[in-house]
Amino acid sequence: MTSLQWARISNDTFNAAIFAYLPAMLASFAYLAYRRRPLLLVARVAAVAGLGAHLVSIVTRGLAAGHVPWGTMFEYSSLLAFLVVLAALVLVEGVYKVTTITGFAIAFSVLTMAIAATTRINTPAAPLVPALDSYWIKIHVVAAILGSSLFALGGGVLTILYLVKDGRERRETAALAAESPAPILGASLDLSDPPHFAPGADEAVGSLAQSSRRRGILPPSAVIDRMAYRTIAFAFPIWTFAVIAGAIWAQQSWGRYWGWDPKETWSFITWVIYAGYLHARATSGWRGRGAAVIALVGFASLLVTYYVVNLWIVGLHTYAGTG
Amino acid sequence: MSSVPRHLTLRQSVALVWRTLRSMRTALALLFLLALGSVVGSLVPQIPNSPDRVARFQADHPLLGRFYQHAGFFDVFGSWWFVLIMALLLVSLVACLVPRTRASIRNVRQKPLHAREIDAFPQYAERTVRAEVPEAIATSQRVLRRRMFRVSRAEDALAADKGALRELGSLVFHWALLLLLIGSVYGKGTGFTGKALVVEGESWTDGAANYDGTIRAGRFFDGDFTGVGLTLHSFEATYRANGTPMDFVSHVDLLDPGGTVARSADVRVNHPAVFGGLRFFQFGFGYAPVIEIREGDRLLYAGPVPFAHQAPPEGVPELALPWDGIVKVPSVTPGLGIQLTLWPDSGAFLQFQQTGEPVPMLRADHPILFFTTWKGPLVDPSPRSLDTSVMQEGRKGALGEGQTCSLSTTKCWGPGEGTPEADELTISFPSIRQYSIFQVSRDRGVPIVLLAAILVLLGLLPALYTSRRKVWVRAEPNGEGTVLKVGGFALQRKPQFEEEFTKLIAEIERATTERIGAS
Ligand code: HEM
Repeated sequence: MTSLQWARISNDTFNAAIFAYLPAMLASFAYLAYRRRPLLLVARVAAVAGLGAHLVSIVTRGLAAGHVPWGTMFEYSSLLAFLVVLAALVLVEGVYKVTTITGFAIAFSVLTMAIAATTRINTPAAPLVPALDSYWIKIHVVAAILGSSLFALGGGVLTILYLVKDGRERRETAALAAESPAPILGASLDLSDPPHFAPGADEAVGSLAQSSRRRGILPPSAVIDRMAYRTIAFAFPIWTFAVIAGAIWAQQSWGRYWGWDPKETWSFITWVIYAGYLHARATSGWRGRGAAVIALVGFASLLVTYYVVNLWIVGLHTYAGTG
Repeated sequence: MSSVPRHLTLRQSVALVWRTLRSMRTALALLFLLALGSVVGSLVPQIPNSPDRVARFQADHPLLGRFYQHAGFFDVFGSWWFVLIMALLLVSLVACLVPRTRASIRNVRQKPLHAREIDAFPQYAERTVRAEVPEAIATSQRVLRRRMFRVSRAEDALAADKGALRELGSLVFHWALLLLLIGSVYGKGTGFTGKALVVEGESWTDGAANYDGTIRAGRFFDGDFTGVGLTLHSFEATYRANGTPMDFVSHVDLLDPGGTVARSADVRVNHPAVFGGLRFFQFGFGYAPVIEIREGDRLLYAGPVPFAHQAPPEGVPELALPWDGIVKVPSVTPGLGIQLTLWPDSGAFLQFQQTGEPVPMLRADHPILFFTTWKGPLVDPSPRSLDTSVMQEGRKGALGEGQTCSLSTTKCWGPGEGTPEADELTISFPSIRQYSIFQVSRDRGVPIVLLAAILVLLGLLPALYTSRRKVWVRAEPNGEGTVLKVGGFALQRKPQFEEEFTKLIAEIERATTERIGAS
């Protein structure tokens, strides 16, 4: 087959993947609201079908371009979206047995794919220039995308859900405490330390949540918090490795392993913020919401590293004609 | 009135500063300052990366530019405040690490401590087994050892722990960060970076005067150039059918300080040559037409002249642009300067003339050279630029490879054809060569930094993914058997430990029972 034919297959399967992710997302949200098992089944089947089409799209893109399918920003975006959905299914549903939040991860991926397809990120498949044709850049990019997808899931999607759920639990606790007499076994509630729940619990469990008037539709905040932490702790060494591999590549191709150019600087900023997050988790007074806010700042930094640096800051250099 | 002393003694102040530096909050704050400083460094143009943008910014925003200048915003990563944050972070790091390392060594040496009240631990279980106390203890010890616990045994009790690797990993990680910084400061401080421009067929030697443009040397650079060198045999650029570059390669011989060939090498993008402690990177390339200037038969000037590109306008491929060069002949009074423009591919030039569409010139093919002569004093000392403000424009003309032109009549002729007057100035273009630009750098810190980076990764994995846990066992006689009381807790990964603990209890129970069954 010719490069053009591969490219066409890649485009078609890319669109097919979006059209499978959309019902998967909707079914997942519907499951969140109504808790009917068939909805979960539909969501999973559609998500897996989307992943299959997406994988074909990524592989054929590589065949069309004649290099590994992560050489342009469109290709990074596609791979990133793929990995976020995969991580949500494997980590969150598979390992943590939490079925209610996959829809949010898919929403993130669909958004990423839509941005990639409709903006100037969308460039046709093309061969790489010599500087990018290196062993280390391939390793670097794949690690950076893997790290980004996990940061996006842990520091973005899960952390936002944690903050939402934690806020709701605090309000419910406050409302309960305001009622007199104290509702649970006559004990007073400690507002500064919301109750912790059994690990792996999907449905809201524990006496407090069940006695509250509205049952939570998300897992307890402590469960989301733990998943977010685990995902970020998984991503951190991968990101560290990506930065190191990038430095090795820079040493090989430009003769310096670190030069504080905008891309290097922002990947360093993201790294430092997540190091701060890991420290905050070990510092009393910063656990919980404080650490979550840092994780969100890290997510914002990741988005800057990815979109702003690639599309605007680096572009400024060419605009200024310093080439 | 107050019992709190107004003034701290020197000792107390030092202790306070030390305590502050050791606190996790300080480390957190410093990490965020570091991130914040870097944000500034990525948004404001930086002198080391793009001096032209800084100059332009200062011209466009004089007031803000002055402020940025004073605040060090144009060179954030070399500014006093960024270095100060780094230094504080390092001091804080060491202040944390020294006591942690000591405590860790003490912990490793010390046997696990026995506990008095086992049933107070988060995980607790009791099992009655049909065995004597010494036997039950010995079996439990074996089970714990098999699960890689460190066990310390008393007569009727065990204390065990596992997961020292976490602390070890964390220590390795943090010390390696320190090493990384030391390595990079050492390497950058004692090293340098420069550019070497070498024309095909010529040689270059590592020496202060032989670099093209300025050398960027570290603060502690000792100025000892090695004297090693290289000869460029040929340079090749290959392109794909659609004009995108595929490969750039310089075929070189690497020379000892004495000038003898040590070995030959191919320097290509991403494949530097390493020799004599220097690294040679393929950085750029260009054309160097060989130019000869004569007065009658007398040769006034001969040699390859490296030509360069102007920056291309938006949307024009760089290789579609012509190349510019200068020749200066001071021996002609009052001075002769020639501005030259090279179109490496005359076909592309003609096509551009006809269609107005720029055509990339991927190889030299019947090149044409345009010239403009200038007469007057040569005031600009740089060989690459000509200050024409004090000069008078003379003739213009063009010649192809192998041709010679008269600079007074602009008439041209092929090899062996024309016969110029005895005092007539002529320009010849016998052949075209290419040149290659190498980035040459010395950084002795690279192996240290690489080692540190590997240690950072190796330390990080156990620091994040293992956990420390402790288990205690006590055996009490109970009629015909023994009651085993087992307690434990984990500092991290508590849910996983719950599972592990359950399995551990089951295994101890099974092991003691089997033993009874066998005897
Ligand atoms: C140079 C910047 C620093 C970076 C990038 C950094 C990074 C990290 C990372 C990624 C971790 C998590 C891995 C682990 O749990 O061991 C960590 C843990 C830790 N860091 Fe740092 N660190 C830095 C400086 C410091 C400083 C200055 C201190 C002293 C206050 C410190 C004290 C600690 C401690 C005590 C832990 C263990 C926390 C735990 O066991 O959960 N670090 N650090």
